[in-house]
Amino acid sequence: MSEHVAPLIVVLPLATAYSILLFCPKYWRYAQRASLICTGLLVVLTCILAMQVNVRGSVIYHFGNWSPPWGIEFLIDRISAFFLVMVSAISFVVILFANGLLYKEIKERVLGQYYALFLILLASLLGIASSNDLFNVFVFLEISSVSAAALVAVNGNKLALEASVKYLVLSTLGSGSLLLAIANIYMVTGYLNLTFIAEALPQAYALYPLNVLATLGLFVVGLTVKSALYPMHIWLPDAHGSAPTSSSAVLSALVVKVYIIVFLKLIFRVFTLEFVSQVPLQFVLLLMSALAILLGSLLAIRQTDIKKMLAYSTVAQIGYIFMGVGLLTYNGLLGAVLHILNHAIMKAMLFLSAGLLIKLTGKRDIRSLAGVGRIYPLPMIAFSLGSLAMVGIPPLNGFISKWYLSLGALEAGLPIYVLVILVSSFLNGLYYLPIVISAFFGQSTEPTYKPLPIPIGASIALICLCIATIFFGLFSGIPTQYLDPALENWFQL
Amino acid sequence: MRDLIIRVISRFMIPFIQVYGAYIVLYGHLSPGGGFAGGTVIASSIILYILAYGLLSEEKRIPEHFTRVVESAGALFYVFVGLLGVLLGTRFLGNSVAGFPLGIPGRLSSGGTIFLLTFAIGMKVASTMITLFSHLIDEEREEG
Repeated sequence: MSEHVAPLIVVLPLATAYSILLFCPKYWRYAQRASLICTGLLVVLTCILAMQVNVRGSVIYHFGNWSPPWGIEFLIDRISAFFLVMVSAISFVVILFANGLLYKEIKERVLGQYYALFLILLASLLGIASSNDLFNVFVFLEISSVSAAALVAVNGNKLALEASVKYLVLSTLGSGSLLLAIANIYMVTGYLNLTFIAEALPQAYALYPLNVLATLGLFVVGLTVKSALYPMHIWLPDAHGSAPTSSSAVLSALVVKVYIIVFLKLIFRVFTLEFVSQVPLQFVLLLMSALAILLGSLLAIRQTDIKKMLAYSTVAQIGYIFMGVGLLTYNGLLGAVLHILNHAIMKAMLFLSAGLLIKLTGKRDIRSLAGVGRIYPLPMIAFSLGSLAMVGIPPLNGFISKWYLSLGALEAGLPIYVLVILVSSFLNGLYYLPIVISAFFGQSTEPTYKPLPIPIGASIALICLCIATIFFGLFSGIPTQYLDPALENWFQL
Repeated sequence: MRDLIIRVISRFMIPFIQVYGAYIVLYGHLSPGGGFAGGTVIASSIILYILAYGLLSEEKRIPEHFTRVVESAGALFYVFVGLLGVLLGTRFLGNSVAGFPLGIPGRLSSGGTIFLLTFAIGMKVASTMITLFSHLIDEEREEG
């Protein structure tokens, strides 16, 4: 039975989603329980999968026993397994949070459908990370774009609809260029399976150098649009800022990251380091990510809406991850992959606590949060912890990824990027810390009132994320050691 | 909308369209086409019926909860057929390796589970198309 875990992690959320639509679109309390159980099971399954990968190496699954290049193949290596565990754990926490709060945020009529959509999105994320077949990656990417856009629009208000359409149009642009790239690579190599493409690519490059280069360019454009690297980020702040709390958390923490996982697979497994260092990809990625880090932070300082500010901060953090990839060194990449995890924890925590505060106080403006920390300590403590981790204060997890990114920059002989990281940390402090300080020490302009009760699920979710932030700061060796063999393989150390 | 010619012609056409759609779905494993194409053809006949007879009010159309049930059931049926492969001791979506009889090539009863899978896709696509169309009509009616 244990060999069937790989397809089950995609089939389970899909089946649960359609069961919700079939049996209880109206009875959303059952939908809540079903999705909580489903994501809980997924955490267990992905952990089993990660153990299998750790003991026996990459898990390979051929659907219907058809062997590649014709059959559909799932290949779960260490990076994918790491990402799968992260996705299912974060979505479990987000569902736990949503069960306490979501019914106050969106119309009751669509609640059941919201959970179904959430699970379909989850299935597509898990599918993208485990699929070893470019066409299946594309299909799952499309599912994720459409369901993510729907999760933004679910509020039904004007802002959310506009943001959702913008998101849909731009992510279709990204899908288009990805499809062109996949068609191109199929044309020159004759394969869609990543392992086979990797073998056939050197020969194809000798025959059709321009096509292969164009393919690489199209992949970079498509995936950076979808993961919102700086000049292509314009859809992100609106979409993540206007979505319901649990959607923003999962979009910012997971959805933009999955495209980076695809990017890593393509760059390091298919095109290989040797090929990539011959083309000016490093220069382009580093330039774009440095711009993302600095301008994302500067734009975040200007925001007064707390969720918009967090969304711009995501733009900056995506820059960090792409910078780690673009450095093309062992430590840089380790920093990038760790930052995928750390940023997911921090940003989920920030979005959830901000959403909770917005719901409790009814205000979105950061200037009106003075004194809130004394009325609602738990969400504000979570927010502060997330802020400190974002700035990179040592015992918290944000510090670890910044440390490895800086080491990677030094290893690549580009110390200027250490400076970028430092400046951006100051900028992070500039927009996060005033909120924290005024929330705890500022004077509220309003008369003191009796605080509303915080839903129990929301409290548990926030406490879990707080513990994770500290845990991965103190015990960063756990993910590092897990990832080490995969990265060593890519860099042939 | 209440044009006599359109109504008579579509009354004549709709059965043929539906038979053609069913043919594309059922012969999906033998000839070009399959669940998606056939499902769309079947749905288009229903859409034609709604338009030609002006059945724009909600109570006269196929009820939305019915199309939604068919849609989800189609998807779940696909998953179930896939899981049969696992239950019979091979991989997810296993076909002849899981022991499904392949039959004589070219016959309608050949191809093992592919017939069931195209049928599930046909169900899902046809009902999704109808649901989408109903939503578009409702939106138009709400606006003006």
